[in-house]
Amino acid sequence: MTYLSRVRINPLRAASRTLLANPRALHGAVQAGVPDQAPGDRILWRLDTDQPRRPQLLVLTPGKPDWTHLVEQAGWPDAEGEHYAVRDYSPLLAQLALGREYAFRLTASPVQNTSKPTGGSTHRTRTAEELQHRSYRLPHRTAAHQLAWFLDRTTRWGFTVPEARTDTPAPGLGTPDGDGEAAREVRITDRDRRTFTKPGTRTPVTLTTATFEGHLRISDPDLLKTALLEGIGPSKAYGCGLLTLAPLPGTGTAR
Amino acid sequence: MPADTTPQGDRAVLLLRLAGPLQSWGDRSAFNRRDTTPQPTKSGVVGLLAAAAGRPREADLTDLVGLRLGVRVDQPGTLLRDYHTVSDYRGLPLPQAGVNAKGVQKPTSPSKHTHVTHRYYLQDAVFLVAVEGPAELVTALGEAVTRPAFPLALGRRSCTPTQPLSLGVRRGTPLETALAEEPWQANEPTRKAHERQAKRGQAPRRTDRVDLAASFDDPHGDDTCRDVPLSFDPRRRGFGTRKVRHAWLSVPTGLRAALPTEPPADGGHDPFALLGW
Repeated sequence: MTYLSRVRINPLRAASRTLLANPRALHGAVQAGVPDQAPGDRILWRLDTDQPRRPQLLVLTPGKPDWTHLVEQAGWPDAEGEHYAVRDYSPLLAQLALGREYAFRLTASPVQNTSKPTGGSTHRTRTAEELQHRSYRLPHRTAAHQLAWFLDRTTRWGFTVPEARTDTPAPGLGTPDGDGEAAREVRITDRDRRTFTKPGTRTPVTLTTATFEGHLRISDPDLLKTALLEGIGPSKAYGCGLLTLAPLPGTGTAR
Repeated sequence: MPADTTPQGDRAVLLLRLAGPLQSWGDRSAFNRRDTTPQPTKSGVVGLLAAAAGRPREADLTDLVGLRLGVRVDQPGTLLRDYHTVSDYRGLPLPQAGVNAKGVQKPTSPSKHTHVTHRYYLQDAVFLVAVEGPAELVTALGEAVTRPAFPLALGRRSCTPTQPLSLGVRRGTPLETALAEEPWQANEPTRKAHERQAKRGQAPRRTDRVDLAASFDDPHGDDTCRDVPLSFDPRRRGFGTRKVRHAWLSVPTGLRAALPTEPPADGGHDPFALLGW
């Protein structure tokens, strides 16, 4: 049984500042909310800071979690209202069907792999042996590349992003030979580069993230279910890869 | 006013949609400054109908002046000031009002080379004008407007109307009802803006109706307009007055009624909305 939780974070407390600044610290706090973890369990989380003074932590856990420790350290323990909300995720999984449309939000870490990197950072001068025969994983750092990374992979995750409704350009304003690719119903609302160190290592972990928002149309419910439960892209421990669905704006409840 | 003299059955209402890039309805302007009123004047509408009917300037206007006029402001438009200069192309000084012994205008002294005039226009305005009168006359005028004898203009010869000009003749309906029942004639951007505002919960609360300003000829009205033409003869021009009543009409827009939607709770994206909340 999968549960989606929403925890409100008080950004003025000392513990919250550590959590908000360091994805590794927040990863630890999230892991501490689930008592029994099987080896294959995947906990996904995301920090929504679209309201900077009321950040919200969204967590998808395989079992029922408890967030008392987060509320005590980084919330408003005595305040009114709901400190955290935990809901069963199966109503959403049950309504996934071919052709349905939802609004989505995803914070991901778009990366590419290459065996012949250019540039001279210390990481790239390591030998293949030191990297355990793995190719070099490099982040996509421009918005155009991040968007292309996302749109290239949507069918693999079981959905498509419909074309954006745009007006036809006035005569003479459009490009002469077609527009190339049509615009899609997706935009990048936030881009970030986070650096933090892990104890015992001197090389910092660098995380390049992009937050995508838009509309999706389900093309394969099973693939989408997998993407929802197991996450999208790398850096899932550090707040990337949790895809959340919501009703499309303007359509009421969309149930 | 002859509104109550004839039974309702013999009367008809002609609906005109006055819209165009520019309109200008002057009522008391003279010389170098030509104003426009925010609504069509009776002299402008009567002139348009007389031109459509092919009446010469000297013709009698009593039957047209006797028509009852109602104006609805579908789209108020904005005011445009045209800064306009007049000079003699030969570089001579402009003539003055006085004449010499031969009856020829004298040049201005000290010499003046340029007249500056201001002409005011309404741009992007749409009005619905209703004319009520004897069915026979109104029907004939409705025919004439579709096949005008002289070119029609919106208050000034440079302001051409856009189609459709005539929305037809309504029989057996009073002027107020005809104006209130006719759908909103505003253009697409205005309709979109109205819909957006209503959905955002701003001033107009509903998309399916809109409140529009209107004014009617009414002997008990509390406003006086000096725009009743006595004659369009260039040598005997003159204007009388009429009493006008101002009102608001609730008019169907032709848009769908908006669903009562609530603003989204958290930044527009609430994953919990799909989990049975």
